[in-house]
Amino acid sequence: MKKTTITLLAVMLGLFLTACSTDEPETTAAPAETTTAAETEAAAETEAAEAAGEETESAESETEAEAAAETSAAGKNISVMTPYLGSVTTNQMVGYLEEKLGAQGANVDVINTDNDFAELASRIEDVVAAGTDAIVLVSADPNQVENQLQEAFEAEIPVFGVDSGYIDGMQINATSDNYQMGELIVRYLFDDLMGGEGTVIALTHRPHPGVVKRCEAFDAIIEEYPDITLITEQHVPAEQPINDAQSIVEDLLLANPDEGSITAIWAGWDEPAIGATKALQEAGRDEVIVTGVDGNDQAIELVNEGTNLKATVKQNFEGMTDIICEQLVKYFDGETLEVGEMYAPAELVLPE
Amino acid sequence: MATGRMKKILQSYGKLLALAAVIVVFGLLRPKAFLSLKNMINISRQMAPLVIISIGATMVMAVNEFDLSVGSMASLGGVCAALLAVAGMPTLLCFLLAAAFCMLLGIVNGLIVARFRVLSFITTLGMSTVVDGLIYRLTGGATVFQGIPKSFSWFGTTRIAGIPLLTVAMILFVAAYWFFMRHTVAGRRMYAVGGNEEAARIAGLAVGRYKVLAFALCGLMAGLTGVAVASRVGSANTTAGAGYFLQAYAAVYIGCTVSRQGVPNVIGTLVGAAILSILANGLTILQTPTYLQSIITGGIIILAVIAQRLGKESV
Repeated sequence: MKKTTITLLAVMLGLFLTACSTDEPETTAAPAETTTAAETEAAAETEAAEAAGEETESAESETEAEAAAETSAAGKNISVMTPYLGSVTTNQMVGYLEEKLGAQGANVDVINTDNDFAELASRIEDVVAAGTDAIVLVSADPNQVENQLQEAFEAEIPVFGVDSGYIDGMQINATSDNYQMGELIVRYLFDDLMGGEGTVIALTHRPHPGVVKRCEAFDAIIEEYPDITLITEQHVPAEQPINDAQSIVEDLLLANPDEGSITAIWAGWDEPAIGATKALQEAGRDEVIVTGVDGNDQAIELVNEGTNLKATVKQNFEGMTDIICEQLVKYFDGETLEVGEMYAPAELVLPE
Repeated sequence: MATGRMKKILQSYGKLLALAAVIVVFGLLRPKAFLSLKNMINISRQMAPLVIISIGATMVMAVNEFDLSVGSMASLGGVCAALLAVAGMPTLLCFLLAAAFCMLLGIVNGLIVARFRVLSFITTLGMSTVVDGLIYRLTGGATVFQGIPKSFSWFGTTRIAGIPLLTVAMILFVAAYWFFMRHTVAGRRMYAVGGNEEAARIAGLAVGRYKVLAFALCGLMAGLTGVAVASRVGSANTTAGAGYFLQAYAAVYIGCTVSRQGVPNVIGTLVGAAILSILANGLTILQTPTYLQSIITGGIIILAVIAQRLGKESV
């Protein structure tokens, strides 16, 4: 028994280490360690170039090296915190932040709490206690961790948000104007795709600060269209939104089996729109229109393939992270920021 | 006397009656949509992942242990299968390797619990955290969907004569595990270990071996669940299994009350999972607001367990 235990533990350890030594797959964000290594390399290059008075070979690496030497973010510890790293878009934003802040010489620490806000609260307390130089919340409603953020404010640690929402005490939250995005897609759906009449199902997740604003836009606009009826609104959990939305829509199709009984399905973000599209494809209900919001790659692919998913709104996620990187540098330069929300413009994605 | 017999019937078949009642109520409210063959097939496919993961949980609970890592293992199963598929491995091999890896982790759970006689609750909590870390390392926390071949979806979307392959798999697993627990020496010994570990040890049973077996089967089934979900949606979410963890144990607990001895059993688990899945399906078909769905589902679970308890006390 003992031998078996030891052998198995050894095999497991071997497998674990093998897994850890594999290259990052394409879908992943660059890990913090890589960023730190790149940054060290860039700094070393700068020093070497300066000492020798030589020009660096690549113009690109020269720019990066200069940026690393020049910005005041260099050497700062920045805690990038999110409960939703599994979401494609959140993951992209975290990746951009790691890349951009890392290139400027900051030490980026990514903290993910897998949908758990209580744990996020604890981790915020931890980084505040550790005296981080800045907190960047990504896709996390600050109202849900307000007490912990108060501790950060009291400790004079600046708190920024990327697509997170804004509360007093924070510096800047860079986001898309979620209400406007909701307005953009709902008007396109109601006017251009539905012709101002029919029935619609809403797939939502109101606990998310961005999604709820899109829902509010939906709520307000549907009031203006007396010929459009809301069949039902269903909440889609965040753990496996594609699978859950697919199940919900399968059930709703059975409740509304006649062709034309559902004109459209409006989803508050892309993942339930993808799940709804899969359910409709399987059921052969080609007439039902689906729209999403976010513009993630999988959704854009479905829009271009001519499926039920007819349109989504592409958020400028990279633009949001650009805003925050810029504002962080300004903050570290000692400038006083104009606190509040800043918006990166979004655009409608239609079939190519 | 008659009341006593009635109570006995209620105690023995209470959950089956509850299941029947749920079906009748939904059937009366929305007969066309709910009672259609299409919806029955729908429900069977939707409940398949929950049943598969719950069977694993049943094994562990049969030996009187608990596995908190099933949700994470399911997520890992899906992620591993998806990553292997992206790497170009044949689909079936991806599924088998992913499930085997989860089974291996289950064996580790079992060996630690059996060898060091530590609480399975803590061991598997630790394993769950390790697995979460492994998933994070493998995926960077992102859903895996780019580069997954179309063939990856065959397990989750294929139908045999109109019946989803997932449903067929679920039925086969239920039958196989029911037979294993009911009609094999190993199955009965697992119950003996769960019933009274010391007595089983004194009787000469290799208690540790049966515990390892239970955890191994639990890991295997969790891995298969992850594979099934990933194959159904054509992508692997890093937290896809999380939603199944509590539901799986709810299904097993409801299922315990189906057996006269109150022990975890495969048919009971199937009934438990069916109650949960039919409630979710029926309430969605009724287009019930989401908050009300949660209240009704939670309320029914509590009522079911209280009714069972009252029945037991009065007999």
